[in-house]
Formats: sequence, C-alpha cells, structure tokens
Amino acid sequence: MGRTDSLAKLALAYGMHLTRRRLRPARSQLKPLLDLYAADGLAPLTPEEQEKHPQLIGCINCGLCAFAAGRLARTRLPDLASSYARLYSRLGDAAGDVDGEEPDWEAASAACPVGVPLEDVARMVRRLAVG
Amino acid sequence: MSQPSAHDVVIIGGGVTGAGIARDLSLRGLSVLLLEKGDWGAGTSGSSSWMIHGGPRYLEFDWDTTRLSTTDAGHIVTIARNIVYRVLFIIPVLPHDKNNIERMETAMEVYDRFQPLKKSHPHKRLTPQEALEIEPGLTPDMVGAVTMEEWGVDPHRLVFANVQDAVANGARALNHTKVVELLRDAGAVIGVRYRTSDGAYSEARAKVVVNAAGPWVPEVGHMAGVDVQLRPAKGIHIVYPHRISRFAISAESIDGRDLLMVSHAGFTLLGTTDDDFYGDLDSVEVLRDEVDYLLQGFERVFPAIRKFRPVRTTTGVRPTLFKWRRYEDELSRRYQIFDHASDGVDGFVTIAGGKLSMYRLMAEETSDAVCRKLGHQSPCVTATQPLPGSESDMEPAEDLARRCGISALAAVKLQSRHGSRAAEVLDGAAAGRVVCRCEPLTEAELSYSARREQVRTLADAFRRVSLAGGPCAGAACVMRAAEIVGRELGWSASQRFDAVRDFVQSSWLGRAPVLTHAGWAQEELVQGATRGLFV
Repeated sequence: MGRTDSLAKLALAYGMHLTRRRLRPARSQLKPLLDLYAADGLAPLTPEEQEKHPQLIGCINCGLCAFAAGRLARTRLPDLASSYARLYSRLGDAAGDVDGEEPDWEAASAACPVGVPLEDVARMVRRLAVG
Repeated sequence: MSQPSAHDVVIIGGGVTGAGIARDLSLRGLSVLLLEKGDWGAGTSGSSSWMIHGGPRYLEFDWDTTRLSTTDAGHIVTIARNIVYRVLFIIPVLPHDKNNIERMETAMEVYDRFQPLKKSHPHKRLTPQEALEIEPGLTPDMVGAVTMEEWGVDPHRLVFANVQDAVANGARALNHTKVVELLRDAGAVIGVRYRTSDGAYSEARAKVVVNAAGPWVPEVGHMAGVDVQLRPAKGIHIVYPHRISRFAISAESIDGRDLLMVSHAGFTLLGTTDDDFYGDLDSVEVLRDEVDYLLQGFERVFPAIRKFRPVRTTTGVRPTLFKWRRYEDELSRRYQIFDHASDGVDGFVTIAGGKLSMYRLMAEETSDAVCRKLGHQSPCVTATQPLPGSESDMEPAEDLARRCGISALAAVKLQSRHGSRAAEVLDGAAAGRVVCRCEPLTEAELSYSARREQVRTLADAFRRVSLAGGPCAGAACVMRAAEIVGRELGWSASQRFDAVRDFVQSSWLGRAPVLTHAGWAQEELVQGATRGLFV
C-alpha cells in the first residue's frame, strides 16, 4: 500500500513538473548555488587543478621535501601536501598558516619520490584558503 | 568476582543507538550501565557513510520514512551543530540512467518539501556545462545534473558525544567489555554477566536489559532464549585520504544501484555495496570484487577515479529487519522495538533495524518503552538538549590557535572533534608537538583522549581523534602515538610494541584490497617505519 501510494504521488509530481517546465523558462541556477554555499567552503577546483588533482594529492608524507626545502611560511612542506591539500571545507580559517616566505620549490619537488608538484599544491591551497 | 552492581537499565551495544538510549535514559534520571564489547561506534555506526541524511530514495517506497528521517535529522543537526557540516551532492544524469533528468528533478522537488525539516536548502538544476564548471572531473556525456543537500558527521564523535553526555548525567559506560551471559530468574532477565578488558568477570543487576547490539541482536537474543530475526546486509566503502571533489557525487552501479562519493572533513568515502551477509560478524572482509564494483560504477560519471590513491576500506553489516524475497536495496530501513514479555521473557527489550539518521528517534522510542515497563514518567529531552561540544558557538580557529600555540589548521581540526569544548582539551597543558601531522593531531589531544575519552588501543585513538587517518596511514606517527597513549595508560615497552603491531596488522586488512602503484610506495613506508615489530 505504501509503495503504491508513494509511486502515485511521485507520478502526480512528475506531471506537475513537466507542466511547469513548459510554462516557465529555465534560468541559470549556478551563481545562486555558488553564493549559497560559499560560506561552507565549497568553492570548486579549476579545470587545471582537477586535471592534476591525482598528483596534487599524492603525498605519502615521507618527509623528504622538508629536508630539501623546509617550509612555506610557518608550514612544513609535507604538511602542506599531506594535510592542507586535503581541502578541508574550513581551509579559509587557516589561510594565515600558508601566507609567507616561499621555499625552493624546485628542490622540494625534485626530492619527492611520488612526484607531487609542490608549487602547484601551494597555489591551489592558497587560492582555496583565501576563497 | 566483585559484588554485582545494581541499575535501572543495562544496555548492551555501544553503537549510536545504544549510546543514544543511554543518554536519553540518564537524562530522564534513570541509573544506566552501557556495555560495548569493542569500542564506541566501532561496528555498524562507524562504517556508515558518515551522513545524517533524509533518505530521498525512500520516496519511492514510503514517504513516512523520509518524513521521520528528515525530522529526526533536523533534531540531530541542532543538538550536534558544531560537529555537523553541509554536504552538497551533484547528481549527474547520463543518457541511459534509470531516471531521466526530468524524473530526477521531480524527485528533488518532492524532497525539497522535506528539506526544511532538517535545515537544508532546496535543490538546483544545472546544465552539463554548469555542472562541469563546478566539477570538471565529471563526464562530459551527462545531459544535466541536479544538486541535493545533506549533512555530514563523524559517527565516532557522534556516538562518543552521546556516551559522554550519558556519563555526565550519571551513567556508567564501559567499552571493551563483553556480555557473556544474561542473568535469569523465573524466565525474566534480571541482569548481565560481563568480562571487562582486563579479563575480570562482573555482574550487573537491572530491572530492564536493552539489546541494542545492531547486527549482533540475534546473538544477544539467543542468550535470553528469544529469536529476533534480521537480514544482515554487508556494505563497504573505499576511503581516499583527501577530498577528491569539493562536492559529493552520485552515480549508478552496473545493476542500477545508487553509489555515492562523499567528501567529508579532508577525506572521501566512495560506497556503498549492499549484499546479504551470512558470515562471521566479527570478521568481515572486503573483497577486491566489491572494490571493482564500486569503481566500475563510479568511473562512468567520474572517469579519473582510478587515478586517485585509496588509503583503506571500511566495512560493516547493517542490522536490517527481516523480510523474505526483496532485493537488499529494497529492504526498509525502518526499525522495530520488541518487548520480549510477550515471548515470556520479561525485563528484556530489543531495538532492531533503523539507520544513523534516525538514531535519536529510535533511542527516544526505546527509552519510552523502557520507562513504561518501569512505570517511570519523565519526558524525553534529547531533541533539544545540545550534545557536549555544541552548547555554545565556537571561537574563531585563529584565536584558539594563537592562544594554544598550534597552527590554525590544527585548531580547526580540534574544533571539528570537540566543538566549543576544544579549548578544554588543551586546558592546563601545552598543546605540545603535533604527533599525527596529516590530521593534524597534537600530543595534548591524544593524551586527553586516553585520559578522558576511554581510548584503550591505537584503533580507539583512530576513531576518537583520527590518529593515522591521513595519507600516510600512520607511517609517521604510530610509534610516537603508542608512547603517548602508553604513558597515560601505564603500558610497558613491550605493550607499546604490541599496540603498534596490532594497529598496523589490522589496518593492513583494510588497506590490502585497494593497494595500487603509489599505494605500494606508501605501504613500503609504513612497513619500513615499523620494521622490527614483525620478527
């Protein structure tokens, strides 16, 4: 009984939906969507970041980049790739952690055994942190 | 054996339902003993999809379940406001999906009617280009997409918050404590015999014993001579140690089931399967076939998924109510409360079925049944009384970080676990070094979890404070963590080594089905870091 009743109500809703779609022109809902969730830290990745994303988040936290190049601002390089790059929705609250002096990116990336492009990681983290 | 303790109620099972009942009854002024054979939330609750959701798929079967579920979800997000977060789903629709874009949007329009009950926003509809703009990893083959909002929560913290509040209201709660026998008197259940983590046996007398053991409900029922039938269903998730997308994404499996990839606090869960389970509930293994089934379904909407490195899997068994013939996916997620007085066994109540999103309501109704048996009249307050950590607003993470000498990200993570009580965790102690850098987790918080949050093993620390939950899977931190926890619990050097070995070995079981390329590199690192433990 429950299932028949549910399907009948869904069928009615479907008919009303199709009628509404015919009568009312569709408008883009992208901007309202992004505005609505901006406060929840749900800014999207760019296509370039998405393309490289498997490499950007490939850190295994071996620590070799820290030996090679140290820190970005107050943040140790392995932490940048293993922790900040996890893209927490509240990354914006930690923007100050990654704002400051740059390390030798070339040395850092050369030391990485799994090929994490650390400068790109820093760029992505900073972009998302500042919103 | 020590003298039996006496309680109004003994609850067997420290998942979210048992913990919720313990909280509810202790807030009503009853004396409660809660017993869990493993760790809090280590069974079905912890292996869930980490969501407080309203169940839009139940719209096809039963709108009442959706209404109940969204209403209770609304209560949960209110009482746990500092540990829940919004999860925005993108549901891409492909040309040959079981629902076309109009049907899918219709379902979302109907679901929108329920969304305000759980303080969620209505859906939006996106063109393929718009969907690709916000998630470039989606397949360009889609014909459109709709969005849907749900809530995320760390189930381990949710369970523990309930335990914590029960204890604050007078309950006793023991983890790693197994009930080995139900005490009987003329047919009635009058208490339990249990074995604690140190191997000692004790007894507790109670006016009512509640069986809230999830999939183990039939096993506990047998101790009382009653038959409670379930249809247990196994589900697995693949865990990625990062957010693969800023959004959650749904997909369709080869057999038309709904799959979800959900972005949580710094990691991603991809799941889930739903298969009848007949094996040993204490030893549920993930099969490579199940992993392949999920990846095959998901790569249709997110083609690059196989390029990402999973770090482990999770698995659990749902305590679904028994029903013959239906497919697993069509089984109801409703719950049922059994007063076994009707079976001639007085003083024994079972709660079976249900889901995380309705745990508070299940606990309320079970507690009502218990109060009726006891003739105790006191209203339920769990719909409005905040859980620990959600009593007040949180201070800005940067202020907390500055005050406690930790990074802002460490402060954010501390708050995500302890809410407005984050500062208390570090109170009176220097935050100390960061012990788990991936998370990040400070020494002070780990010590606190051993001292105040019933952490007894490193796996407990993983559940309570996310120790080794990140990309390195513990390679860099488990040895140090064993020293810190061991210092609090008085472990000898060999006990510390044993703790690390147990943790690494049990983690391996969850990791093995998903190891590929970089995963093996990481595995070498873990094995190297812990070399010497396995000779």
